[in-house]
Amino acid sequence: MTPALEIRGLTVRYGGTTAVHDLDLSIARGETVALLGTNGAGKSSTVNAALGLFRPSAGTVQLLGREPLAAVRSGGVGAMLQHGGLPSESRVGEVLRLVAGRYADPWPLADLVTTTGIDGLLDRRTEQLSGGQRQRVLLALALAGTPPLLVLDEPTSAMDVEGRQAFWTTMRDLADRGHTVVFATHHLAEADAVADRVVVVDAGRVVADGSSAQIKSRIAGRTVRFGCTDRAGLAELPGVTSVRGSGDLVELATTDAEATLRALLTTRDRLPDLEVAGASLEQAFLTLTGGTK
Amino acid sequence: MTALLTFQLRRVLRSWEYLFFTVVLPALFTVFFTKVFGGQAGSGAEYQDYARTYMVSMMAYGGLGAALGATIRLSFDRASGWLRQLRVLPVPARDVVVVDIAVGMLLVLPSLVVVALVGRFVNGVQLGLGTWVGLVAALWLGSAAFVALGMLLGLALEQKAAGAAMGIVSVVLAALGGLWIPVEVFPAGFRTVAQATPSYWYAELGRGVVGDGGTVLPVLALAGFAAVFALAALAVGARRPLHAVAG
Repeated sequence: MTPALEIRGLTVRYGGTTAVHDLDLSIARGETVALLGTNGAGKSSTVNAALGLFRPSAGTVQLLGREPLAAVRSGGVGAMLQHGGLPSESRVGEVLRLVAGRYADPWPLADLVTTTGIDGLLDRRTEQLSGGQRQRVLLALALAGTPPLLVLDEPTSAMDVEGRQAFWTTMRDLADRGHTVVFATHHLAEADAVADRVVVVDAGRVVADGSSAQIKSRIAGRTVRFGCTDRAGLAELPGVTSVRGSGDLVELATTDAEATLRALLTTRDRLPDLEVAGASLEQAFLTLTGGTK
Repeated sequence: MTALLTFQLRRVLRSWEYLFFTVVLPALFTVFFTKVFGGQAGSGAEYQDYARTYMVSMMAYGGLGAALGATIRLSFDRASGWLRQLRVLPVPARDVVVVDIAVGMLLVLPSLVVVALVGRFVNGVQLGLGTWVGLVAALWLGSAAFVALGMLLGLALEQKAAGAAMGIVSVVLAALGGLWIPVEVFPAGFRTVAQATPSYWYAELGRGVVGDGGTVLPVLALAGFAAVFALAALAVGARRPLHAVAG
């Protein structure tokens, strides 16, 4: 079976800057893949080129074994764009019916409405939707043709926390039903919660590619913070890779938070304001790219 | 295509400003100008001249406003991301352009017909049946020049500029083209300016059909304007794809 998405040697240049460098990516059918990266990492450029929104400077893209535009026209691909939108002066139901009417095998409207959580919005004017509702309507449009492949570019950026959770629950359901889901995000937690494969993109290149657990273990550094004035011996504690912090607050970067904490608790009577936190995505990138940035 | 046409027509007709400026206002102006100027007419024949001239001018004003208003809106669909969205749906943006042109042409008809009805039944303009039909048909076809201009502006302008252009362009074309105040009372310099506007020739076409002048020159002038606007629209469209967000 042809892959759901096959990118070879993709290079995207805007003027003098290169957003994507010779990127290869193959996604099999049925996978749920997160393209994880900070803003400007080249995620959107990759997604937009994959959808045929512009012609890349070099490289080829195949969606379900076809050229991007042909795949979109055939209804094989549903997409949510970062800068996509809904028409003004129209109702949600009108837009949905217009789009559904274009497909040979549309997703039954009533079920589509329930699946995407837009019950009660069909008679709403598009101008009156909240950010989260808009995204859900755009998701419904992306799903209208029952596409085997879904491509989403930062779909939750306009949503509040509850909206995000509901949205990713929907995504997991879709993945369970056999849809291939590819989404770009800059939230490690989102990638971790939804994707079974995480592709980390930085400066237009793939810097890591593996299961969510593998990626997390590579970037799973923790930060242990607490108040202390005597830093003697901290650097030698198990797992600790660096000692930072300012004033009375110490920040230990550790690869094994549990071992570090055990050692701390046996050697110190008090650990005021103790806090253990995950490494930020920025820290994770420093690890993955070897701090070369 | 029919579903898309219905969809787009409904969107434009939801805008009450659109209906006001393209149907109600020209109809009210037809009555107003005819009463003001026609009221000073010395004879019945002179009144007929005023009533007929103003009706044709207001048909032209309504027609060009409707054509421009329905098409400049394309800019809003680009700004909202809808045209970009369509690019990833099996609704080709090309269809959207074709449908917008059709919507522009179709929506000219209500303006023309309503003003003609007001001319006939409120102001008592007398024309033969064939002339009535010929007048509406000529001004309908002639509106293609303004549909082309509207597409050009819709493609070229950003949302804010397009919103302003919808109101300003038809007012400027109507004023300079002698649709509100007849060109005959313009100073010589302004008369030359008027003859450089498509609106002047659009009204001249209508006047030619009702027997107040020839139709050959207006047809040639309007065809020329339509061709220039359409070519410019194609050039802008090629340089700036419909799905581009900006720039």
